[in-house]
Amino acid sequence: MSKVETRSAPRSTTWQGYLLVAPAVAVIVLLVVVPTIIVARESFAIPDPLGGTLGGFTLDNYATLLDPVYLKTIGYSLGMAAANAVVCLVVGYVVATWIAGAKAERQPLLLLLVIIPFWTDFLVRTFAWINILGSGGIVVTALRAVGIDADSFVPSQGAVVLSLLYAFLPVAVFPIYAALRGIDPSLPEAATDLGCSWWQTQRRVMLPLSAPGIAAAFMLTFVPTLGVFVIPVLLGGGLDPLVGNLIVTLFTEFRNQALGSAMAMVVLVLMLASVAVAAIATRIAASRRTS
Amino acid sequence: MRKVIGAAAIVMIAFLYVPIVAVIAYSFNASPVSYRWDGLTLDWYAELFQDEPLLATLRTSLLLGLVAGFIATVIGFLSAYALHRFPIRGKGVLLAAVAIPLVIPEIVIGVALLRTFSTVGMQNGLLTLVLGHIVIALPMATFVLLGAMRSLDPSVHEAAADLGAGVLGTFWRVTLPILRPALLAAFLLSFTTSFSNIVISTFTAGVGTTTLPIRIYSSVRTGLTPELNALGSLMVVLTLVVILVVGVGQMRRILAGSAP
Repeated sequence: MSKVETRSAPRSTTWQGYLLVAPAVAVIVLLVVVPTIIVARESFAIPDPLGGTLGGFTLDNYATLLDPVYLKTIGYSLGMAAANAVVCLVVGYVVATWIAGAKAERQPLLLLLVIIPFWTDFLVRTFAWINILGSGGIVVTALRAVGIDADSFVPSQGAVVLSLLYAFLPVAVFPIYAALRGIDPSLPEAATDLGCSWWQTQRRVMLPLSAPGIAAAFMLTFVPTLGVFVIPVLLGGGLDPLVGNLIVTLFTEFRNQALGSAMAMVVLVLMLASVAVAAIATRIAASRRTS
Repeated sequence: MRKVIGAAAIVMIAFLYVPIVAVIAYSFNASPVSYRWDGLTLDWYAELFQDEPLLATLRTSLLLGLVAGFIATVIGFLSAYALHRFPIRGKGVLLAAVAIPLVIPEIVIGVALLRTFSTVGMQNGLLTLVLGHIVIALPMATFVLLGAMRSLDPSVHEAAADLGAGVLGTFWRVTLPILRPALLAAFLLSFTTSFSNIVISTFTAGVGTTTLPIRIYSSVRTGLTPELNALGSLMVVLTLVVILVVGVGQMRRILAGSAP
C-alpha cells in the first residue's frame, strides 16, 4: 500500500470500520443473542426424562413454575432482591453524598476505599463472613465473652442477608456518586438561599436530579441478586434458595434443561421489567423537575 | 446533618473492610481454629503452595484469564477504534450491543452458553470457558478503551498526518503508544473479571478444567480452612496491584462515569 493511498484512506474506508467491529458483533450475536434465543425456545420444549429436550411446543414448563415450591422461591427471591436493592440504595446514597461533598482532592482516595472491596474477589468476600459469623468466629466469641450463649450464625438467613448487602453495596455507590457529581453545585446553594432546609434541598433538588444514578444503582443491585447462587449455599446452607440456586440445580443436578430454561427466561423477563420500571421512574423524576 | 451523613458513611466504609481484614488476620493465625489466637504463622501459605490439586485449578484460571483477557482486549480495541475513528453507521446500536452482557443476568448467559455448546456438539472444556469469559470481559475492555480514545486530543492524529505519517504509521507510532496504559488497564480488568468469575464457569467448565473459583466454592462448602484465608489474602493483594496499576482515576471513570 503506497503512502498516498493510505493518507487519503479515512474518508473512503467505511467498510474497514465495519470490519473492525465485526469480531465484537460476532461475539455478541453468536455467544449472547443466539444462545438466549435458543434458551427461550428450549423453555417451550418438552423435557426428555433422560436429560435434554424432545423439541415440540408446550407451556408445561411455565405451568410447572406455578407450582407452590417454585413460586415460593421466585417470590422469596424477588422480596430478597428488592429489599437488598433498597438497603443498598439508601446506604449507597449516604456514602455517595458524603464522597461527592468531600474536598475535590480527597475524593479519589475515598472512592478508592470503595473500589478495593468492590474489585475484591466475590467468593473471598463471601467466605470471609464465615470467619466472622461462623462457629468460633469473632461474633460468637464476643457474645460468649459477655455471657450470651451462641453457637454459630452460619448457616442462617441473617448471614445471607448481610452477605448480599455486603456484596452489592459498593456497586450502588458509583452510579449515584456520578449522578451527584453531575449536579451543578449552585442548585443546592440556590435552594438553601431560597429558604429550603437541608432536608428539603435533599428531597426536592438532589434526589430528583440524581434519579438516573439511583435507577442505575437499582438495576445493578436488584437483577444480579436474583442470579446469585453462591451466597445462599455457603452462608445459608441452601435452606432458602434464590432463583439462581434453582437454575443451577435444574441444570446441573436434575438435568431438566427445559424447566431450567423457563426459569432463566423468568429471570430475563424480570430484568427487562425492572429496566422498564427504572426508565419510567427516571422519566417521572425528570418531568417533576421541569414542572 | 452533614456530620451525621459523614459519620454514617465512615461506618459503612469501615464495614466494607471488616471481612477483608478478617480474612487477612486469620490467614496468619497459628491456630487452625478461629476462636483461638496462637500467634503469627506463615504455615497456611506454605500449605497453600503444596496443595497440588488447588495449584492445578490456579493454573487453569491463570491460563484462562490470560487468553480470554487478551482476546477480549484485542476485540474490544478493534471495535473501540472503529467506533472512535471510522464513520460507521449505527454506533449507538453497536454500543448498546456490546453492553448487553452487562445487562443480562450472568446466570442467564451461563445457561444459554451451556445449552448452545451442547446443541452444536461442543464438549465443555478450555475452549468453552474461554468463549464464555470473552463475553463477560468484552464490555469492560471496549468501554475502557473507548473512554481512553475519546479523552485523546484529536490533534495528535492531525499532527501525525501533517508530518507525513500514513494511517497505519499513525496507528503504530502514535495511537498505539499513547493508548498503552489504557490497553494494559483493559487487559488487567478483563483478566480479573475472568479470573474471579464463578457463574459462567459453573456452566462452561468441563472435566479437568475446574477453575480456581469453582474449587474455592466446593472447598468452602465442606468447611472454611485457614489455607483458604491465605489464598483469599493473596487475592486481595492481586486486587490492590490491579487497581494501583490501572489507577484510581481510570477506575472511577469506568465505574462511575463515561461508560454509556
